[in-house]
Amino acid sequence: MGRLIAQRLLAMLPLLLIVSFLTFSLTAMLPGDPADLILGDRATEAQYRMVHERLGLDQPFLLRYVQWLQRAVLGDLGTSFFNSVRVMDAVAQRIPATVSLTLASVLISIVVGLSAGVAAALRPRSWIDRLATFGATIGQAIPNFWFGILLAGVFAVNLRWFPATGYTPFGQSPLGWLSSITLPALALGLSTSAAIARQVRSAMVGVLQQDYVRAALAQGLSRRRVIFKHALKNALIPVVTVLSFQVTVLLGGALIVEHVFAINGIGSLAVAAVRQQDIPMIQGIVLVLVMIVMAVQLCTDILYGLINPKARPA
Amino acid sequence: MIYSTRRFLLSVAAGLALMAATVPQKVVAEPSGTLRLGEQAKLITMDPHQHSGGGIGYLRPVYESLFDHDEDNNLVPLLAESYEVDGAKIVITLRPGITFSDGELLTAEVAAANINRVIGLGIQASMKLAEKAEVTGENEITLTLASPDPSIIDALSGTAGMMISPKAMEDPALDRNPVGTGLYVYSPEESREGELRVYLPNPTYRDPELQGVARLELSEIPDATAMVNALKTGQIDLAIFLSSPQAAIVDRTPGIKLLRQPGGTTYHLGIMDREGTRVPAFADKRVRMAMAHSIDRAAFSKAVEFGLSQPAYQAYPEGLWPHDPAVGEKYAYDLDKAKALMKEAGYEDGFEFDIPSIPVFASRLEAVAGFFKEINITMNIVTVEPGTLARRSMSTDFPATNLVWNTFLDPKYLTTYYVAKEALFNPYRIAPDPELMELSEEGLNRVEYAERAPIYNEMFRKVSDEAYIIFITTTPILFGATDVFAANPTLRLRPGTDTPILHGLRVDN
Repeated sequence: MGRLIAQRLLAMLPLLLIVSFLTFSLTAMLPGDPADLILGDRATEAQYRMVHERLGLDQPFLLRYVQWLQRAVLGDLGTSFFNSVRVMDAVAQRIPATVSLTLASVLISIVVGLSAGVAAALRPRSWIDRLATFGATIGQAIPNFWFGILLAGVFAVNLRWFPATGYTPFGQSPLGWLSSITLPALALGLSTSAAIARQVRSAMVGVLQQDYVRAALAQGLSRRRVIFKHALKNALIPVVTVLSFQVTVLLGGALIVEHVFAINGIGSLAVAAVRQQDIPMIQGIVLVLVMIVMAVQLCTDILYGLINPKARPA
Repeated sequence: MIYSTRRFLLSVAAGLALMAATVPQKVVAEPSGTLRLGEQAKLITMDPHQHSGGGIGYLRPVYESLFDHDEDNNLVPLLAESYEVDGAKIVITLRPGITFSDGELLTAEVAAANINRVIGLGIQASMKLAEKAEVTGENEITLTLASPDPSIIDALSGTAGMMISPKAMEDPALDRNPVGTGLYVYSPEESREGELRVYLPNPTYRDPELQGVARLELSEIPDATAMVNALKTGQIDLAIFLSSPQAAIVDRTPGIKLLRQPGGTTYHLGIMDREGTRVPAFADKRVRMAMAHSIDRAAFSKAVEFGLSQPAYQAYPEGLWPHDPAVGEKYAYDLDKAKALMKEAGYEDGFEFDIPSIPVFASRLEAVAGFFKEINITMNIVTVEPGTLARRSMSTDFPATNLVWNTFLDPKYLTTYYVAKEALFNPYRIAPDPELMELSEEGLNRVEYAERAPIYNEMFRKVSDEAYIIFITTTPILFGATDVFAANPTLRLRPGTDTPILHGLRVDN
């Protein structure tokens, strides 16, 4: 296992290099000019030149990239084009909200998805199965931003059970955190739970028809024990795969849901950075997100091994 | 005897104590409550001299300008005591004894350094004619301009006139550590970057009576729906700068109120190719007049701007000093007249032209295109990159454009934007009527609004006669407030700007 982790960590380096270069290239290709936002669009040519010089935008593209990379290797992701905020500080400040939101959504999707999937698989073609399938279809069809607006309208504006906007850090008030994270996490997590429910259902239906399940039941093991200890464990492998993909989907969805609930996470930072063409900020955000996704993939591989010893690397 | 003297002394002491207790003392009400504002604009910098665009609300609690505007839009001195204009020189006398929140004194040297910094940075377009500021007296600075421009005083009531502490000016992180002379100080410890800005009373402020709140919170809420939800649930007391759809929701929601701020922006079309280089029909004034008559502004306002705007026939709405009551409803909607003018000009069968658009203007242009269709004019809407509309409008890429006129702008900009041969939005370099340029110069040589207004009124009337700027609607700056806050007697809004007046604003919650 240690070798696997070491191998994966080493493989991250070239990937990060490629991603950073691609991001830098794509950002450079974006139409428009950050100087427009700094100076307004009625500035003189001399002012534009001054700002370009200050930001280093007058340098050739490759030189700029190499300079950025040199600093990044030393842990300095640079400073925003628009203010004195360091990229690392901005990302570090925003990441807890996004990670909180994503983890809470993962938790919701696992709990709801597993329960609905198992319930549907145990009684195929029953009303429970049809209801779970219907719910999963709806869940996947509804865009999470719209669901978020709906939840905010009902539970925040009308019922006043939760705040409509904002995020309370856990360290500041655990209850406030729970209250601020519930609606956005539901908006984000329910669509993912639909995907998990469908996956669990089909995997469980297949596993429950396996000979070893019938043999276990014939040996007198309780149905509950057979389902939860043997069948579900085997059905979980494809679910873990789906979940690892869904985490990246959740990270993407968080960008929009954060906007709807005015949560100051990495999503709102990314949206603002892209709008302003704040290249150092975009680079920093993308690198951090790529590292998160890679860490999730690594965790998935480790989980495979834990669930199914056969899947462990030699 | 001794006893009597003692008694006498005791009586005097008691009397004095009683007098001290009964003489009325000046009672200063302590700041109380929390004022919670919601701001749609993201905060980019808290350095006022580098600030452009929206979000001035983040700066107002900390910084004060040399001048200000009251709720009736009168220019009033704030950190300055008085000013005197002498051609291209403006002498400003500062109020003595003003201190920054870090204890530094606002001296003439500091004020001059601030203005020279603004000039050096060159970001404040309104200060382009300013050349230098010099100390000319103990509390006096003289601002030298390239040519006379009384609107500089107005500019000094905004971010260009905000005074930064000399110590803070040397701080490379000034954009996150603002230090001014304002009512409140910024609390970075309690603020959350990108989400919430917290301001606390400035303990050294010269007039504590004006500090009405114990804590001021400004939330960054870029999503319009989230902003309205925050207002509905009472998370914020006042939502600054609502867009029309959200304002319409606020307007019909019980418990919250829509506040319409005089001023705002006037949406207009500019026909730049008025000599017909690319579109020959535009050279005929009758065609331009027909276009102006074909627009049903009331229907436009209702359909596109939720009825929150008002039909505009000039740049400035009623209540602002450059407004001209004589204009009335010139070019009012009259389809028959428009058709007749087109026929008279020989364009009964119409013509076609392109106009640039950015997403936020798309629905407006579609509505205008519908009106023009009625007189057989086909207006092709060409989408350009957001943020480039002004720049594309300065080129000969298009024969006409559509823009908004900020009603807080001085009317002198009519010349520099549209009229002068080198004007920004005169890319075809059409020579202006010399009389217009004379009026423009005359306007710059007068100082008082009352003297300047008739000159600019005449200038706008002449431009209006030529019908190459077609004003359509003026949308006020829209605020949303909770019913309680809207009824607050200390709430005052400045015409044309997007923040409430903080001096004297009190809350009890």
